[in-house]
Amino acid sequence: MRGRRAGALGLAPWGLFFAVFGIFPLAYALALSFLAYNPLRPDLVRWVGFDNYARALTSPSFWHALRTTVLFVVGTLPVTLTLAYVVSGLLASVRRGQGFFRAAIFFPATLSMVVISLVFKSLYAEEGLLNGWLAAASLGRVHWLQDPVLALPSIMLMDVWASVGYYAILILAARKTLPDEQLEAARLEGLSRLQVERRIVLPHVRPVLLFVVLLNTIRSFQIFIEVFVLTRGGPLESTLTLVYHLYERAFYHFEMGYASALAYLLLLLVGVILIVQRRMLGGDPADAPA
Amino acid sequence: MGEAGDPKMRRWAAATLTVAVSLMLVAGCGKKAAPKNVLVFWQFSPITAIQPVIDRFEAANPGVDVQVEQLTWQSGREKIVAAIAAGRPPDLCELGSTFLPGLVADSTLVDLTDRVADMRPALFGWDVASYRGRAYAIPWMVGTRALFVNDLLVKRAGLDSGARIQTWADLRKTVQTIAERVPDARGFGMNTGEREILFKKFMPFAWGNGGNILDSTLTRSVMGSPQNVEALRFYLSLKPYSLLDRQEMHEQAFTSGRIGVVISGPWLIRKLAQEAPKIHYSIQLMPQPALNRGTHASFAGAEVLGIFRGSKRQAAALELARFLVQPENTMPVYIATGNAFPAATAAGLDTYFNRHHQESRFLDQLPTAVAPPLHPKWVEIEEIVNGELEEAIYGRKTPEAALQSADARIDAVLAAKP
Repeated sequence: MRGRRAGALGLAPWGLFFAVFGIFPLAYALALSFLAYNPLRPDLVRWVGFDNYARALTSPSFWHALRTTVLFVVGTLPVTLTLAYVVSGLLASVRRGQGFFRAAIFFPATLSMVVISLVFKSLYAEEGLLNGWLAAASLGRVHWLQDPVLALPSIMLMDVWASVGYYAILILAARKTLPDEQLEAARLEGLSRLQVERRIVLPHVRPVLLFVVLLNTIRSFQIFIEVFVLTRGGPLESTLTLVYHLYERAFYHFEMGYASALAYLLLLLVGVILIVQRRMLGGDPADAPA
Repeated sequence: MGEAGDPKMRRWAAATLTVAVSLMLVAGCGKKAAPKNVLVFWQFSPITAIQPVIDRFEAANPGVDVQVEQLTWQSGREKIVAAIAAGRPPDLCELGSTFLPGLVADSTLVDLTDRVADMRPALFGWDVASYRGRAYAIPWMVGTRALFVNDLLVKRAGLDSGARIQTWADLRKTVQTIAERVPDARGFGMNTGEREILFKKFMPFAWGNGGNILDSTLTRSVMGSPQNVEALRFYLSLKPYSLLDRQEMHEQAFTSGRIGVVISGPWLIRKLAQEAPKIHYSIQLMPQPALNRGTHASFAGAEVLGIFRGSKRQAAALELARFLVQPENTMPVYIATGNAFPAATAAGLDTYFNRHHQESRFLDQLPTAVAPPLHPKWVEIEEIVNGELEEAIYGRKTPEAALQSADARIDAVLAAKP
């Protein structure tokens, strides 16, 4: 009983923090989503029921932003996951300088996304480094962020670069929990390296992979900073993602109620996708090897 | 327990406490001064630029303590909205002219018309701060754009570097010749990838050609007018010779001598002085359609000072605003920042401009600069104009189709109930 009380007391600061900065904003945003609320005119606030949700679901901008966001998620998730897995395998097989390579791979995860976006903004510039290399190779310039077809893939590329290292280290940690004896026995059985990966390593790190998939899905659906810094949703709204659309409605049009409804639709969507992903991939990320 | 229960210790502790409390009371009484009237002022210039001016104001008004805070252009808007929503806005706030219409529409700013009537002759930019004849802010700084021309590239293209670009035809000839004759150089900087500023780059050509965004009653769109269509056709004719990129990249390319003509503001002068002191360039007025018609129109923006209804110190805030817009107080801020010019008409006579001829070219540009309409639905209108211009620049729509579409969409926004 005393131990339980001490535990509750120990959790209290976190609980209070979570209640103030987690639960309260969530509940407040839910309430806002049923209101027509302009923060500049709080006196004109009025109850609109599900009108904000209905408006979003019939708005071409919402569907366009959702499509762009889904494209981003679908375009980055498999690539990030595959690359992270491959990189973790390479890191595991490195004998010398493993610490250096691990640090180098993890480095982008230590940078703020704003910093990364600013660096890529210069790289992608018409007169930037990438086009300089293309020109040196006698290839034509590419309008990385100005071409409506290329702008979103360019942001995806940056995002993959920024996140692969972090996920690779997570998968590497799971790999390290695999007993050497088990791997040795598999090799003695005559399994090829590919077979070892497929039959032993992959099942072992599966809970971590599921964790990576869930984490990356949530993060990708929330993409905002990259768009804010690099393209502001353009050109021709080709990079208008759901969260950026939400931001514009909230802070340019002062439609806080509508923006809150958009946020809840996003929450619902991500929730459904996570449940489906968990069912499809099986396992529980909580079972990840310690 | 044992120590605390000791009567000797208790007496000692009580004596110490008594002395400590007495000392605190004495110290508190001794330092107590008359309470100051705290005035909160939010603005966008570096604190180092504004603080000396504020210090002078405080020295002249001993009872006032001005708390200055610097906003950033990236997040200032959100911060202001949040403060208004929380019921704790600053007493005085610098506002961008494009942000102002929304605030006016939502009645968050104090109507200053009757209290600033005496200031009208002394300041430029009242049209940017007024809606339907009522002034909701005080012009502080005004800004415009002009042509930056790389004279060396003009010369290398075989053109007369001393000749002025006066008309659209001159501009097209210059940018085309540079693009065609100078290896690795582009003629003109055409903005892409940042739709939020497209209207600022195109509308000068339309305004100069007699076009506009809304009619004089602000109730109908005139975006599809023949004047605007002609201007957009001309603007798009520069595309083959242009660097299609963001403004920041245009300025970078101009600094490194790889672009002939860009439209920019006075901040580029300082950048060039620091990063490319040897570059030969001239600043010229925006071109007019032809020598015998149109004007040298440019975009006019302003930084205005607004007082929120939620402020409890409106009179003191107005006093501070009156102080800030005086030429002797705006000039130091301009000299420190170099972004926008003092709205005070007398500031143009400052000897600083005799020594800085390039910067004074912007003062020549200001009289023909045009501000976008201060309309409560400006955010929506601007979004439509930028979106349709982007469609035209990317070749998705013809100039006629883009501007007619803008017409229809803006009229729908104007007709919609708030």
